[in-house]
Amino acid sequence: MWFKLALTLFSRELRRGELTIIFAAIALAVLTVFSLSSVTERIRLNIEQKSADFIAADRRLASNHPLDDAFILEAQKQGLQTARQMFFDSMLFANDELVLGSIKAVSEGYPLRGVVTLKDGFDQADYEVQGVPQRGEVWLSEGLFYSLGLALGDEVEIGAGVFRASKILVNEPDAPFFSLAGNKRVLLNYTDIGTTQAVQPGSRVFYRMLFAGEEAVLTDYYGWLKPQMRDNQRWQGIKDRQSPLGENLERSERFLLLAGLFGIMLAAVAMAVSAKRYCERQYDPVAMMKTLGGSRATIRNIFLLHLCMVTMFSVAIGLAIGYVLQAVATDYLANFMDTQLPQAGFKPWLLSITIGVVCALMFSLKPLLDLFDIPPLRVLRRNLGDKLAVSRVHMALSVSTIFVLMWFFSGELKTTLLLFGGTAILMLVLFGVSRLLFSAGRKLGLSPGSSWSLAIATLQKRANANAVQLISFALAIKLMLFLFVLKNDLISDWQMQVPEDAPNAFLINISEPEVTSIESFFVQNNISHADFYPVFRGRANALNGEKFARTASKQEGEEQDEDAAEGAGRELNLTWMTKLPEGNEVIEGTWFDPNSEKLEVSISKGMAEGMNIKIGDRLTFLVNEQSFEANVTSLRSVDWGSLKPNFVMIFNPKVAGKFPVTYFTAAQFSEGDEKTVSQLLRDHPTVSMIDIKSRLEQAQSMIAQVSLAISFVLAIVLTSGALVLISQVQASLAERMQEIVILRTLGARGRLIKLATLYEFLLLGALAGFVAALVSDVTLLIIQRELFEVEGKLHPYVWVLGPSTGALFVAVIGYFMVASTMRQNTQGLLRKLA
Amino acid sequence: MSVLSQLNVIQVKGLNKTVSTFEGDLDILSDINFTVKSGESVAIVGTSGSGKSTLLSLLAGLDTGSAGEVFLDGAALHKLDEEERARLRAEKVGFVFQSFMLVQSLTALENVMLPAELAGDKGAKQQASELLEKVGLSHRVSHYPSQLSGGEQQRVAIARAFIGSPKILFADEPSANLDSKNGHLIEKLLFDLNKQNGTTLILVTHDEALAQQCDRIIHIEAGQLEKIREGEGATVHVV
Repeated sequence: MWFKLALTLFSRELRRGELTIIFAAIALAVLTVFSLSSVTERIRLNIEQKSADFIAADRRLASNHPLDDAFILEAQKQGLQTARQMFFDSMLFANDELVLGSIKAVSEGYPLRGVVTLKDGFDQADYEVQGVPQRGEVWLSEGLFYSLGLALGDEVEIGAGVFRASKILVNEPDAPFFSLAGNKRVLLNYTDIGTTQAVQPGSRVFYRMLFAGEEAVLTDYYGWLKPQMRDNQRWQGIKDRQSPLGENLERSERFLLLAGLFGIMLAAVAMAVSAKRYCERQYDPVAMMKTLGGSRATIRNIFLLHLCMVTMFSVAIGLAIGYVLQAVATDYLANFMDTQLPQAGFKPWLLSITIGVVCALMFSLKPLLDLFDIPPLRVLRRNLGDKLAVSRVHMALSVSTIFVLMWFFSGELKTTLLLFGGTAILMLVLFGVSRLLFSAGRKLGLSPGSSWSLAIATLQKRANANAVQLISFALAIKLMLFLFVLKNDLISDWQMQVPEDAPNAFLINISEPEVTSIESFFVQNNISHADFYPVFRGRANALNGEKFARTASKQEGEEQDEDAAEGAGRELNLTWMTKLPEGNEVIEGTWFDPNSEKLEVSISKGMAEGMNIKIGDRLTFLVNEQSFEANVTSLRSVDWGSLKPNFVMIFNPKVAGKFPVTYFTAAQFSEGDEKTVSQLLRDHPTVSMIDIKSRLEQAQSMIAQVSLAISFVLAIVLTSGALVLISQVQASLAERMQEIVILRTLGARGRLIKLATLYEFLLLGALAGFVAALVSDVTLLIIQRELFEVEGKLHPYVWVLGPSTGALFVAVIGYFMVASTMRQNTQGLLRKLA
Repeated sequence: MSVLSQLNVIQVKGLNKTVSTFEGDLDILSDINFTVKSGESVAIVGTSGSGKSTLLSLLAGLDTGSAGEVFLDGAALHKLDEEERARLRAEKVGFVFQSFMLVQSLTALENVMLPAELAGDKGAKQQASELLEKVGLSHRVSHYPSQLSGGEQQRVAIARAFIGSPKILFADEPSANLDSKNGHLIEKLLFDLNKQNGTTLILVTHDEALAQQCDRIIHIEAGQLEKIREGEGATVHVV
């Protein structure tokens, strides 16, 4: 019998809207978690895939010594896709022209991730393929065609072999960022290496093995590989530190994760509020049922069934809406990015259902247990059991559930603790501030009967309830501000690294006489460009008179920039400058004294550490068989993440004139400049161009994706915040009705009541917004320093934005929630209160 | 059990109720003794705070006394736990409250059926419809409490009180929240149904006129039973 009664009660409560809030809260939590985790997971997978494109694989093993075939065989045995690469320089010969080219020999299967972009003619559109040149064929970068005077399909000699230049190589996924040596690119079939006879003992050759497959298999494989790896072999992945893209990827992952946590926090607040309110509203029916002979077991069964049904339906609805939302969002993102987003798999389903069920259970458990304890005597003593509503156990249970959920969702204790700590401080500050303010308001001496004094009186009267409301509002506003500021900061930070007007091509190997003509070519064609930097190649071969032993010290799993890693004894691109270049910062020593008569050198921090160089050391360089010494006067931090040319060693201008140099510059070509570019390269066949347009586009598209994802999260958090607000205001509606009735009975005019309500919400919102701004800015500062390892800063605009948007947000939603109550006549309100 | 105690549907012996306050223990009721016979109507009167509602709650088993004994239809309430007392109420007791205490999410008919449904009675609907007809609300069966006037809500509460034919009916200020016209209507309905069903009625009220309609009137003052006198309704029973 209880089952039928439970169903009747459930359907009625549902229809009366009594369950709507708790229903919406659970559904909201589920849809938030589902849509967030789906979208972030899909974007994460996409970013990971895209990032994997940058190395043409998921992982790679690199060395300047041949790699053991057994590595490949074992990887294949474990089910991984594999490919091999070999890099070497070789002379290309055609039409009596001789040009040094950078050969990349690739085996079948390359690229494991990403695509190779080709052209079938100089003026033809490019297209993408996944493959390698056939045996006997090579794909050459456009510059080589010009330098060698080749037409498509012509023969070209590479070393001892003759090959057909069958395609123009526009781009390959793992094209080097700024390798000044790797400009004239040749893609060669791996099996043709022997034909060239270019690789001889002592040749400078780099080897790579590429791997792709399931993350778990890759991890297993690395477990097998690690003990066998030598010092000169490096295991690299896109996430590895110091890879500019790896850093960005990690940052975006953390950011999306952080954003996801906020959704959960808000949903949890809405849930706790609505569960408590629902249970409180059941006190009278339960007392009545007990009075009429209902047993504890019957009542427990009825309400547990309600909880199960609410959970089931709301989880289902949440999943359905969440699915649609994420589909719409990812569709939009996919269209915007012009890409396919991979499916997210079962993880979001599992996560959101678990969170829905756990939330429903944990936030309702204590109020429900309290409900079962309501004494039947409440039918006579109406306030009996009310004290149960203020339950420390419920608070503790809710708070610890939120903590565990956040931890579960983020998988990061530090992030969770930081966010949680920030919120705890917020709550403490708010509780103190609200109590203080609400009691201080009494001393303001406002005239009785004014809307303001009524608003303040109302705030004071419900000091406790208001403190709770204030905390909720502030939490919602804090999260919104937090997300908003973090988004602005991070995006602008990233965009500064890859600005819209960043140069999209580098021109290298410019001889001194060509500088003027190229410069005037730029002016004529209205192309913006950077300075022309002198470049010469040389080695650092001794420190304080002692020759370097050629060691390559590498930390496991780390990819350092190649120059820094193998600076000792290796040929480097050297330059001289008078001014410290952009994106560099002197962290030790001082920048060159323009009047110095001595030869000085400034070194990147990474290289200095790798080679154990300190300020004041003497470095011996060998350039064109000519040896000279320079004093180390400064160490620089270099922003390797920026898409700008960076030098590990910079001399003062005293070095100028000692050696022959070539120049390089950066320029920004626009869409439709292809013909101009071709003209430039035809006019200067020895000049090489590194086109980084696609690199920039890739990086910018990643920023755009993250930015859009955050906007989506912000929208969800905003909705969650509104729901928290609505649930809070709804929880106070009965009390408000009573007040309105009393005030009206006492002759208060509608306008007074309306204004008082509006002011009350404005005050609450402004106060909540102010404290939210305070705590969010401080937490943000800590998070930026601790999590993102960037120099955090305070944001004065938040201090204005917080109180103003808080007041507006709370006032608009709060006022409209209460408006319908205020419109009802006193008799109608009285009946509702009965 | 003696014949006398069977006739005495309620027996109260040395009943005390003490509550703890910040200023020490406070006696709400002390040394209350009386009996109520089956079918009798008894009014409990007294000033506000005299302890009459507390007495009602103890008689109905909604609360337990600090000392003393209460027997409800032979069952020693003071020895039963809450669950057992609830079961007893389900079988033998009906209630009418000042604030109606209808479940807002149930219709008039469902509210009347509620005690029977809680007791697992399957024929509740028929009985509930008949009772609603008796209280003149057959046209309001599917209305929710918020759609009914105060008088109508109390009539639904009275119908609910009589479902399952309880042996004892407790009414706490049943007409206090109503205007005089509706109040009188409710009072009449209560007494009529009480007579028809032979129910024992325990009525807590301020209203002397209403109390007078009962067989006996128990005066409570400051937690003490001041006096018991006959009301105008006394016809058969003698103390």
